[in-house]
Amino acid sequence: MNKKTDKKIRISDAAAVKYLENDRFTIASLADELDMEASEIYDFFPNRRSILQFYYEAAIIKYRRIITQIDDYSSFSMAEKLSTLALTLLDLFQENREFVKRTYPSYVVCKSGSTPFEKSLKQEIASIYKGDQKQSRAASLLNIEPIFELILYHFHGLIRFWLRDHSEGYQKTMELVDKWTAFVQEVNYSSILDRGFELAKFAAYQTPLKNVFSSSHNNTTTNE
Amino acid sequence: MSDFPSSKFDRGKIFAKTGLKVGSNYAKHYLKSLNKKNSSDKSSLHKQTAEQIFGELTKLRGTALKIGQALSIDQGFLPDEFAEVMTQTQYKVPPINRSLVRSIIKQELGKYPELLFKSFESEAIAAASIGQVHRAVLKDGRTVAVKIQYPGVRDTISSDLGLAKTLLRRIVNGKDELDEYFDEIRSTLLLETDYIYEGNTIDRFHERFANEKVTTPQWISEFSTQRVLTMTYLEGDHLSDFLAKNPTQEERNRYGQLLWDFFHDQVDDFDEIHADTHPGNFLLTDEGKLGVIDFGCVKKFPEEFFSDYLRLLPTHLQRDEEAIINLYQKLGVLKDHPNSSKKEMEYYKFCLNYGFTFAMPYEGDSFDFGDPEYKELIRGYTKNAPISNEPRGNKNFIYSTRVHLGLYHFLMKLEAEINTTDSRKIVQNAVESISEDT
Repeated sequence: MNKKTDKKIRISDAAAVKYLENDRFTIASLADELDMEASEIYDFFPNRRSILQFYYEAAIIKYRRIITQIDDYSSFSMAEKLSTLALTLLDLFQENREFVKRTYPSYVVCKSGSTPFEKSLKQEIASIYKGDQKQSRAASLLNIEPIFELILYHFHGLIRFWLRDHSEGYQKTMELVDKWTAFVQEVNYSSILDRGFELAKFAAYQTPLKNVFSSSHNNTTTNE
Repeated sequence: MSDFPSSKFDRGKIFAKTGLKVGSNYAKHYLKSLNKKNSSDKSSLHKQTAEQIFGELTKLRGTALKIGQALSIDQGFLPDEFAEVMTQTQYKVPPINRSLVRSIIKQELGKYPELLFKSFESEAIAAASIGQVHRAVLKDGRTVAVKIQYPGVRDTISSDLGLAKTLLRRIVNGKDELDEYFDEIRSTLLLETDYIYEGNTIDRFHERFANEKVTTPQWISEFSTQRVLTMTYLEGDHLSDFLAKNPTQEERNRYGQLLWDFFHDQVDDFDEIHADTHPGNFLLTDEGKLGVIDFGCVKKFPEEFFSDYLRLLPTHLQRDEEAIINLYQKLGVLKDHPNSSKKEMEYYKFCLNYGFTFAMPYEGDSFDFGDPEYKELIRGYTKNAPISNEPRGNKNFIYSTRVHLGLYHFLMKLEAEINTTDSRKIVQNAVESISEDT
C-alpha cells in the first residue's frame, strides 16, 4: 500500500516540475523522466490532470506522515494543530510554489463539488476539532460540516495570501496563520458560548421570564 | 500561546489600552482615597498596575519589551512593587506557537527540527523580547541552545519607535537630539535582529573571554541563519534562582567579583562591550564561573566619548569642579556653565552628587554593594533626577549607562563585596591611554 502510494507521489511530484517546463507534457515524456513505462503511470492515473491533482492529495499524505514524527503532537492545542496543518502544507507547497500558483485555483478551488484534496483537508480539520478535549461544550456542538467548510474556505484564502506574500521567509503568512489559529482557538475554548447557551436555555424554559415578555406584549396591545 | 501583534494598528492599540488601564487604576485609587481618609493600599495598586503593564508588554514583545527591560534595570525610577513585577520581563514572555517554531526552523535551516536534531525541546526554555530559546541536542551529541526570532519582529522595531517618537515629540523639546537617540536605538535594535552578526560576536567574545573564570557559548554557524541562532548550551543559575538558594556571602562575593572583573576587562581591552547587563543575560555556573549568554547588544563606543565617560569617575572622586563642568559640557549634559542659569545649576548639582555616588566604588580597594545605604542613595538620585522635557547628553550614554548601572544593580541585588584595586587601575590606564592616542 505504502509502496504504491509512494510511487504515485513520485509521479505527481515529477509531473509538477514537468508542468512548469511544458503544461502540455505527455505521459510518455513523464515516464521517460521517471525511468518507467507509460503503462505504469496509466495504472495509477487516467490522465495528466489527475496526476497533477494528486500533487495536492499527496501533500496531505506527506503531512500525515510528518505529524507522526512530532513527539508531543498529541499535547498540541487546537491552534497549534491547525497551525501545523496549514504551515506544513505551505512548507510543502513552497517546494513547488510556481506550480501551486498556476494550478491551485483551477485544480483545487474552482470546481463544482469537493476535490479529493478538499475532502482530505476537511477530514483533517474535522479530526482536529473532534479530537480536542478543551473545546467548550457549546463549541463542540458546532463540530459540523459547515464549520469545517468555513475553515476550508479560510485555508483557500490563506493560500491566496501566501501566493502574494513577498516577505522574507513568508513571515507575513506565518503571522497570519498565528493570528487566525489563535482566534479560532479562542472561539472554541471560550466559555462565552456555554454561558450564552445556558442563558438562552433558561430564557426559553422559564415561565416567569416568558410572562415578562408576554405581559409586556399584552400591555403594548392594551395601550394600543 | 499568544499570537504576535505586529501591525502598527495592533501594537498602537495595545499601547493605548495599557495607557487606559494605568489611567483607570489610578483614577479608581484617587476616588477611593477621597472616600477614605486613611491611605489605602497603594502598594497593591502599584502591583496591579505593573502586572497589567507587564501583561500588555509581553504581548508586544520586540521593542516595547525592551523598554520594560530598561525600566526594570533602572529600578530607581519605579516603586518597589513595580520594579519587582517589571523584572519578570527579563525572563518570562509567553512563547510562540510550537508549530510556528517548527516552520521557522524548516524555513531557515531547510528541515524540521525532528529531522535536524537528535532531540529538540518544543517548549521554549526562555522567551525574551526578540526571540525565544529552545534546548536541543545535535546529532554529534552536543547540547545546544537554538534561538528563534519571532516572525515580523524586525518590522515592529520601526513602527514601535515611530509610535514612541510621535508621543514624545509632543512633550519633548530638542527634536534633533530626540532623533539622534531614536536613530541610535533603532540601529542597535536592528542589529540585534541579525543573528549572523550575533553569531560572529559570540565567536569574538569566546576568543576574548572564555577562560577559567568566564564561560561563553560557541557559535554553531552551520545551524544558524539571520533568524535562527544556534550556540552551545551553558548550564547555570540566573541571579534570581541563585539568590533563592540562600548563597553564602563568600559565594555572592565570588560571582559579583567575576561580573565586576568581566566588565573592567572589557574596558581594559577597549574593544566591544557587552551592552545588555540585565540579569537574564548572565548565568552563575556550578563550576564557579560567570556564564555570559546573550550577545545581541554589544557596543564599541567612540574613543572620545569613552575617554570622557571614564574620566568622570576619577574626576568626581577628586572633586575637581572645573574639570567636571568641562566634561559634562563636552558630553552634552550641561548646555552652558552652571552659573549661567538656575536650570543649568540644578542639573550640575544633581550630576555632581550623583556622579560622586556613582564613582564611590572606585574610591578605595574594596566596595560593599550590599550596603543598604548605598542602594538607597543610588535609588534616591535616580528617583529625584531633574525631570525636564529636554533630552540631554551624548547618545552613547543610552548604552554606557545601561551597562554600568546594570552592573551596579546586579551587584546590589547580589549584595556582593568587591575588590576594586585592579579595576581602579584599569580605568586610570584606559583614561590615560585613550588620551595619549587622541
